[in-house]
Amino acid sequence: MKGMRRASTERSLLIILVGIVILMTILNPKRFPTVRNLISMSYQLPIIAFLSIGMMITMLSGGINLAIVATANFTGIVTVLFLKAMAGAGAADAGVGVALAAMAGGLVAALLVGALMGYLIAWIEVPAILATLGVLTLLGGVNVVITRGYTLSGFPAFLLGIGNGTLWGIPMPFLILIVVCLILAVILNRTVFGVSLYLLGSNPVAARFSNINVRSVLMREYILSAFFSALTAFIMMGQLNSVKANYAESFLLVSVLACFLGGVDPFGGAGKLSGMVLAVVILQLISTGVNLLRMDPFFIQAMWGFIIIVLVAVNHVSARWREARRMRAVRSAQERAADKG
Amino acid sequence: MNDFLELRGISKSFVGVQALNDVDFSIRAGEIHCLVGENGSGKSTLIKIISGVLHPDSGEIWVEARRADHLEAMASLGRGIHVIYQDLSLFPNLTVAENIAISELQARGRSLIEWRLVRRIARAAMDRIKVDIPLHQLAGELPIGLQQLVAICRALTSELKLLILDEPTSSLPKRDIDNLLGVVRDLQSAGIAILFVSHKLNEIFEVAERITVLRDGRNVGTLPRADLTNDKLISLMTGRTITETRFSISGERGRTLLEVRGLSRKGNFRDVSFELHAGEILGITGLIGSGRTELALALFGISPADSGDIFVEGRRTRISSVQDAVKAGIAYVPENRLVQGLIMKQPVGDNIIAAILKRLLDRLGLVDPARRRQTAARWIGKLDIRVSDPAVMVQTLSGGNQQRVVIAKWLAADPKILILDGPTVGIDVMAKGAIHDIIRDLASRGMGVLLISDEIPEAVNNSSRLLLMRSGRIRSELSTENVQPPEVQKLVEAGK
Amino acid sequence: MNETYLAVLILLICVIISVANPSFLTAENIFGFLKSSSMLGIMAVGTLFVLILGGTPDVSFTAIAQVVEYAVTVMTLAWGGNIVLAIIVAGLLGAVMGLVNGIVIHYFRVPTIIVTIATFNIYFGMMYVITGGKLINNVHPMLKQFSAVMLFPATSRIGSLYGLTLHPLIWLGALVLGWFILRRTFLGRSICAMGGNETAAERVGIRTMLTRVFVFCFVGFLSGIAAVVHVSIVQSVVPNIIVGKELAVIAAVVIGGASVFGGRGTLTGTFLGVLLFAVMNNGLTLMNISSYWNDVTIGVVITLAVTISAYQQLRQTRRRVNVKVEG
Repeated sequence: MKGMRRASTERSLLIILVGIVILMTILNPKRFPTVRNLISMSYQLPIIAFLSIGMMITMLSGGINLAIVATANFTGIVTVLFLKAMAGAGAADAGVGVALAAMAGGLVAALLVGALMGYLIAWIEVPAILATLGVLTLLGGVNVVITRGYTLSGFPAFLLGIGNGTLWGIPMPFLILIVVCLILAVILNRTVFGVSLYLLGSNPVAARFSNINVRSVLMREYILSAFFSALTAFIMMGQLNSVKANYAESFLLVSVLACFLGGVDPFGGAGKLSGMVLAVVILQLISTGVNLLRMDPFFIQAMWGFIIIVLVAVNHVSARWREARRMRAVRSAQERAADKG
Repeated sequence: MNDFLELRGISKSFVGVQALNDVDFSIRAGEIHCLVGENGSGKSTLIKIISGVLHPDSGEIWVEARRADHLEAMASLGRGIHVIYQDLSLFPNLTVAENIAISELQARGRSLIEWRLVRRIARAAMDRIKVDIPLHQLAGELPIGLQQLVAICRALTSELKLLILDEPTSSLPKRDIDNLLGVVRDLQSAGIAILFVSHKLNEIFEVAERITVLRDGRNVGTLPRADLTNDKLISLMTGRTITETRFSISGERGRTLLEVRGLSRKGNFRDVSFELHAGEILGITGLIGSGRTELALALFGISPADSGDIFVEGRRTRISSVQDAVKAGIAYVPENRLVQGLIMKQPVGDNIIAAILKRLLDRLGLVDPARRRQTAARWIGKLDIRVSDPAVMVQTLSGGNQQRVVIAKWLAADPKILILDGPTVGIDVMAKGAIHDIIRDLASRGMGVLLISDEIPEAVNNSSRLLLMRSGRIRSELSTENVQPPEVQKLVEAGK
Repeated sequence: MNETYLAVLILLICVIISVANPSFLTAENIFGFLKSSSMLGIMAVGTLFVLILGGTPDVSFTAIAQVVEYAVTVMTLAWGGNIVLAIIVAGLLGAVMGLVNGIVIHYFRVPTIIVTIATFNIYFGMMYVITGGKLINNVHPMLKQFSAVMLFPATSRIGSLYGLTLHPLIWLGALVLGWFILRRTFLGRSICAMGGNETAAERVGIRTMLTRVFVFCFVGFLSGIAAVVHVSIVQSVVPNIIVGKELAVIAAVVIGGASVFGGRGTLTGTFLGVLLFAVMNNGLTLMNISSYWNDVTIGVVITLAVTISAYQQLRQTRRRVNVKVEG
């Protein structure tokens, strides 16, 4: 029945998605259903997508990564440090090689943070929410210390290209998102790591008793999550041409919301990438659609809150409805069997 | 005829399944009555109807000679009917005193807490059954035997006329079982009726006056204890007669697969030495708390030994993790099937391949879905696991089938040495025999089997040699050829 | 974390700070940091209740405080009244906002964090829409007078007046109230019971919906009171000054011993947790460490604290003696 359950989450998300598209088109008939808008959304989507996926990865084991945004900011800052070290004031004119080297430096920094969280959670068995809370605060402070609150900018063309460029007419970040999602799907479903992760998330004790190296899986899980923070950082840097100690702080809670919407079980063991992607797309559609209404941004924020409550209510009602339908299906199957026998 | 409770012609069905079919049942005031039946016989449905959680589709319920067809859960409490479920419904973060007094406090409805009153209520309940548990201790820190007594004390804080105990002795050490049975007798002398729902046939015989057997939703017999033998009970429960056979090694004893010398782990066991050969089943038994499981966990790498040597097929092997153990060819079917053995909300197929993921890789290093399916299907077939689709969650299977899944998982890893810890706990009688057959078959194919069991007849009938453990040490080794379970029982109890 | 360890840690930090800067141990300084942590301290009591109840934490309480702060300031400017009335109104307003949380969470069976993200956005967003994000620089004199009340008044070396203001006392009041509810009322025990085993709580007859709704109303009530405390201290209303501190409050309560899994936590621990943060912040200022290092220091302390705590837990479970081994 697990297959059935998954399919239903995706089906209801798809229905919600279609509903939102229709709603937004009605509210904004001139500006919403345009190619220009589609392209604009596909630039913005990857940022929240990568953050949400990074969050989802840790939720699969029943954990959470509160430091996901702080790690992204940290990556950006370290990358800038490398850039300045290598190219000094001419950072904005630096070539691809320099840019890549700096990004590698930032990536390594992120992975180290992930390793730290993984170590605390896997070896010392610190509850994930506490370990990542500590790292969040620590990194937040480190970020502020390094930047002194200033915004740093002036990035090489290659980096800007990642955030703003296109390849074959498709926005670069969106392409990266597609490629990364495909690879992640393979990782989650077809590698020993991925399969072990789901099993572990469902029951860590039994996983341990079943020859799964729980510590190793958890470690890799948090490093992978940090990798997604790094991806987010590069795209943000490319789009905003700047880094700051506390960009996108509000995205932390949005990523939690996206996971919930996408059907990820916060206790671990369940959550499909396809559900996540649909959830993120829905949130992006709502965000863009609502922004296009050119309303007071704070009114939009309040509306977001209402929308979340509506989504929650819909979720609840549809879950109950699905349950009732399943009971009816089982009952009729039994009656048919009884008739035959 | 002073029946406290009488059920006449109770029927109940769910979604097409007839859980209870025209069941008559009665229990007298101050009687100790036992309700037995395989899984799916309708035991828990009957309990839920008595306690008011479910309403019957048809039939009559009489409580103290008054008709009461719709017992609401709270009303049944009001009539003095109290159920203690297997999970005990305790609050691990509250003290013993609070756990005992809480339902009484809720009933009294007063908003402020007077701690003196709480302690008084708790102490009064404990006095009724002559137990003394430290009131300020957190319930979660108590051993399970005491937790059970706390749950019983809570039941005693209100007018108690019928106490229903659902599988109360599944995981209790002997001393706690004796305690519990003593408490039950005290309650009986106070005029309280007790209904046991139990799988463990020994305790029933010790204490029950009448026994009701359910099978497939029907009452197939309510008999006084004197009229029932073990065999008759089993034949009523299953509808067939079962004869236990003895295991013996087929042919010559094979090579030494496992040798353990002077193995010790602080606080768990000390100076354990033995040998295990191919083709034999070595039983380990003893009272709960004798270190048997701890020994197995050391051999399996979960809590490695501090000192001593392990030789697998003659080679000295260090086992400091589960990975080490599996690599050495050792597999372990755990004591706690639900938590340690299975991942409940995952499919049967995934549970089966859980331990051998690394062996299912294709050329790209990815897990091959075809091999995954084939492996799962192969073992479902080989072990005759009754499941319509490997994608169903393993929690939907019966106990016996679930245990087969656990065994399948480890057989898929192709072990040389298989350790089974309490493999038939909570499994129906028929299914038990089937699991024993599987184990014997494995031995006859050259595997070395270590069978740890609480149930002396199981240990004696299914092993060629038997080790008795007590307090972390091996006390004696017997050949099971000419020995009978009762003798061994005496040895175990005497601490030999 | 064990309360004794926490107290020792705080003591240690106090010693370090007073060695570096002896003015740490003066009454003026102590009264000062107690006053400035009163708001968070009051909100921490509410957060404790949510954590004990179990489940994910509430993140809307800062938004509730912000809204109430605005509302009460505007109301007192428009209609006057006295401070007691203001506090009562603030508490009630906050309670009503918390009520919404409680009802939605219980009725839709959704994780607390999700619902409170939503209500946070609704409350904060609507507040901005209605007020236009205006700062208010002149509050009603009653708030100034409230802040001026001092116990143990004294004059500092430079001639300014200082003393223990009423704000820490309100904090103390919140702690005592929280303690009373938690330890002395059946309602409080029900909250602990639900945190320990919610199904058992239902079986025993506890009214889980009412208990849950109460907790969220209580959080709102305390947030409202914290808002009045805050506005009387800073004597202005800046629309986004309170929000953003949610994680800091939760961290303080958790370090004070509340379990993230529910069922455990004490008022003493919560007080110590907030005190730890207060002392650290104060110390950093007194030791002339740039405020940029604040979060780093606090982050290091949090991480160390949870690591040590988890490590101890680990050692305990690893070496549990199961068998009385003979000989």
